[in-house]
Amino acid sequence: MPTDTAPSSDLRRRPVGGGIAGALRRGARSFAGSARLNASRLTSPLYLGALGVIIVFAYLGSGNPTSFFALSLVLSSIYITLALAWDFSSGMTGYLNFGLPFFFGVGALVTGQLYATDSHLTPSSLAFFSFGVGLLGGFLFSLPTLRLRGPYFSLLSFLLPLIGADFILAFWTQLGLRTQGYYGLPFLGATYGDELVLLSAANVAILTAFFLLRESHFGLVLRGIRDDEDALGSQGIRTFPYKVVAFTLASGVVAFSGATYAMVYTFAGVDAFGFAFILFPILIVIVGGTGELFGSIFAGYVVILLYQYLFPTFSDLTLIIFASAAILLVLFIPHGLVRPLRAFIRFMRTGE
Amino acid sequence: MELLEVSNLTRSFGGNVAVDSVSFRMTSDALAIVGPNGAGKTTLLSTIAGVLHPDHGTVRFRGRDVTRFPPWRIARLGMVKTYQIVRPFRSLTVEENLKLFDKIRGRVDVDRILGVTGLSEVRGQVAGVLPFGLLKRLELAKGLAAKPEVLLLDEPISGLSRSEARDLLESLLELKRSGVRMVLVEHRLSEILPIVDRVVALDRGRTIFDGTRSEFFQDPAVRKAYLGSEDVGN
Repeated sequence: MPTDTAPSSDLRRRPVGGGIAGALRRGARSFAGSARLNASRLTSPLYLGALGVIIVFAYLGSGNPTSFFALSLVLSSIYITLALAWDFSSGMTGYLNFGLPFFFGVGALVTGQLYATDSHLTPSSLAFFSFGVGLLGGFLFSLPTLRLRGPYFSLLSFLLPLIGADFILAFWTQLGLRTQGYYGLPFLGATYGDELVLLSAANVAILTAFFLLRESHFGLVLRGIRDDEDALGSQGIRTFPYKVVAFTLASGVVAFSGATYAMVYTFAGVDAFGFAFILFPILIVIVGGTGELFGSIFAGYVVILLYQYLFPTFSDLTLIIFASAAILLVLFIPHGLVRPLRAFIRFMRTGE
Repeated sequence: MELLEVSNLTRSFGGNVAVDSVSFRMTSDALAIVGPNGAGKTTLLSTIAGVLHPDHGTVRFRGRDVTRFPPWRIARLGMVKTYQIVRPFRSLTVEENLKLFDKIRGRVDVDRILGVTGLSEVRGQVAGVLPFGLLKRLELAKGLAAKPEVLLLDEPISGLSRSEARDLLESLLELKRSGVRMVLVEHRLSEILPIVDRVVALDRGRTIFDGTRSEFFQDPAVRKAYLGSEDVGN
């Protein structure tokens, strides 16, 4: 076998410090190192393209701030946030999580209750508080469930919005809170155009954070989990903490999104636990490409705008049309739209 | 204190005892576990690595009982297993397959490992498109990236052509010279014997031989298991 360099005893393991403090130090160093390393990735054509798409749609929508088009773009932005969160956690690890609507509903209800308690709270503080509650809820949900593998985890996550919503509402009633919903929440912005700009800015921040994490060592491990989790374990990587961090972050983002949704409609109720809030994000990720992140941006606007404009004509048939299109897409472009785009960019750069 | 000590290890699947009270100590730099098909070699290796838990017996690594440890913990202590059926991270590049182990136990010297295993030229390629021979090398490279004190190699040359196997064994020999200790499970006895110092032979889950390489072919039990008769010569 050809060898390029001489082997050395350096290939053997070097002892490292153990214990919780050591693990925390290593974790902090790992994240800090990754962030420095990957800042250069922000010049990636796909990342810049995704930013361009967000900015263009924000500009187009804010030009006609009270129109149906602007509202549709606001909804697109909310679903894009959900799709980014789903793709970052489930798309990258291969652990299909159907429990997102639960945290979306939690985000909406927490926003409603907080505003009912203190009407001086600003929309941004409500959204960030919901983000915090989502993080905490996601962490607590992840600890027991992510010890399960593949389909077992998926089944449990599927039940979460169903059982969890009932549990929350029962708990809500016990506390004497409003189960019939919260009306009169503050608007996220003065017009749909303003809301669109805010949500677009949030999506830029979320996309950037997830993209940097995806390109870091943390992201490598998540993608390794999707490929072969047991092989990672056999070679010294404890996958559980990585999965917990990914799903906790995603839950926080989803709760944040639930809060913004409640403030767009100025109402928070049990409908926020609805299945649409998992169906459309998954559809967007399928169209865009699993684990690609940018795909959620490109596909998000297409899927939601199409739905918004087809629904008045086709009513409930719209979902059937979408499902059929998704099946065809999986058959003919199984990796979604971004991977061929990535291959094209590579071809243009290197000729390979 | 031995680096690796296995005592009375037993592992069964239903009524089938795959490994039956196997004991040995690793007193050399390279140890081969050999035996005919179904002898229990891979089960033994998986049990040592924590992938399977034994019914009875203990595994001690550097004097520490690691019998019930999960695989990641055993690997972090320095005993790392590679797989007979290659398990690359298919969506990652060759380089990323190694970088995965960066920051787990300090920086991985990717260039050096790629050099030793002859993978430098394909470092940027996605592992999922590599041919089998290169995937076998990648399996070894991943094991090295985990910075092992002891590499547990499960049939590293199975499925390789003679020349591919020779190349990989040369790499193993170089690694051994550089101080990496290894336990090899292998079918192709004549090819691996030159690089090992001691041999443990199994037959139907039981130890039938534990000794040096030179003693191996002189042992009557080994002759019977491999050649069907104690009388047949080398």
